[in-house]
Amino acid sequence: MFLEVNNITKNYGARRVLDEVSFQLAAHGTLSVLGKSGCGKSTLLKIIAGIELQDSGSINLNETTISSLRPNERNVVYLFQEALLFPHLNVFENIAFGLRIRKETSQQIKQKVEAMLQSLELTEHTTKMPHQLSGGQKQRVAFGRALIINPPLILLDEPFSSLDVEIRASMQQLYKTIAKQFDITALFVTHDLKEALLMGDTISYMEAGKLHLYDSKQSFIEDARTGVQNEISFWKELK
Amino acid sequence: MELIRKNITLVLIAIGCILPVAILLALSFAQHWVYPHLLPNTFTSEAWSYIFKKGNNITSSIFTSLMIALAVAGLSTTAGFFTSRLIAYHKKKNILLFLAYMPFILSPVIFAVCLKYFFIKLNLSGTVAGVILAQLIIAFPYATIVLTSFWNLRIQQYQMLVHTLGGSDQYAFAKVVYPLAVPMLLVCFFQCFLISWFEYGLTLIIGFGRVQTLTLRVFQFLTEANIFYAALSCCLLIIPPTILLWINKKFILHRVA
Repeated sequence: MFLEVNNITKNYGARRVLDEVSFQLAAHGTLSVLGKSGCGKSTLLKIIAGIELQDSGSINLNETTISSLRPNERNVVYLFQEALLFPHLNVFENIAFGLRIRKETSQQIKQKVEAMLQSLELTEHTTKMPHQLSGGQKQRVAFGRALIINPPLILLDEPFSSLDVEIRASMQQLYKTIAKQFDITALFVTHDLKEALLMGDTISYMEAGKLHLYDSKQSFIEDARTGVQNEISFWKELK
Repeated sequence: MELIRKNITLVLIAIGCILPVAILLALSFAQHWVYPHLLPNTFTSEAWSYIFKKGNNITSSIFTSLMIALAVAGLSTTAGFFTSRLIAYHKKKNILLFLAYMPFILSPVIFAVCLKYFFIKLNLSGTVAGVILAQLIIAFPYATIVLTSFWNLRIQQYQMLVHTLGGSDQYAFAKVVYPLAVPMLLVCFFQCFLISWFEYGLTLIIGFGRVQTLTLRVFQFLTEANIFYAALSCCLLIIPPTILLWINKKFILHRVA
């Protein structure tokens, strides 16, 4: 499998945040990780990205063990809840950031950034500074900044949670489009049931540091823990 | 009516700020100014031309003050920046921050008297290096306290993001952390400069009277009852802070906001 997470355990003092978490993910697929706040889903992403260290367990990406590598050596991009655009750089430079790290030529950078701006419908905002953008535009720039370096794995930590309903829906649609366009392999963390169903090719549910992976969307819907049945009942009773 | 009242208040505040400076300027150009005259009897540029005369002691004081203030501001801001980072992310942040406040518990003069013995033992008493070191004991913790607020969760997240994009610690510092810190570093530098520029007690006691800064020179002229030269020194003393305030307002404050 493209991503293999084996028996990851993490404790914060006496509290066990991740308990022997194991799963596998095929290339070019998105795994939704649904869970309530504090269940350990963000910690799991941070450990895969290398921002935090696991107490035990290992991670293999494309048949290479990455769990002992530094975050800048893993080639795994972590997208935070907030867009976190660099406030001193304009849209072009924000997107070009990863390419400059890789010391690509100015010509290559210009070409790639312009193509990315076009894909994300941001061409007219090239020279704008982050404070001049709306929430949705900021997230699109953050996507562009991550995608342009063509990482084998992207980790999305509730990237749309701060957006309002309409923009959130359009961003979800945009994600689906670019995931297909760029053959993205991603882990998509969310606490929103509908979002988990929409975004993931595979769905998992995290509770008290344990991750349960569903073999189909149907089994996810049928599991009472996920809250789908409650949601269905609610809408039925409303009629 | 409300607008007129507001304008009058603003004018009164402006007069309150400008009047002392105007009086000082007038005094620096005066030769005789005796009661009950509202204005000086004679105006002269004698005091101002004195600073261009060879062997005058004001010019050397200006350079000494500038050298000390720039060194103190530069060193305390640089050291404070890195120390504040260590403190901000340390498990015992609150205790370390509390310790940083310790030099401010005592007045600088009492503090200087307590430290004088050590400066004499280290042969630093009466030297510019000694005065710089003494002022750093005040300015460095101040810079550390001011800059601790910079190292917040967002800065940490920016660094993590740069790492996941493939950048090293050094790259994250050079391309993100430092550019974001520049406005705050400049404000801190200016404030440390002002602390040093106007410092009297520590400079007098550790400098042993041999390190004559402009602030000390003002007091010297006052004790000699030479109010015209004291006024001249005061005018010179407020020029750098005024320039710094102007730079601060024009170029930096909006970037910090």
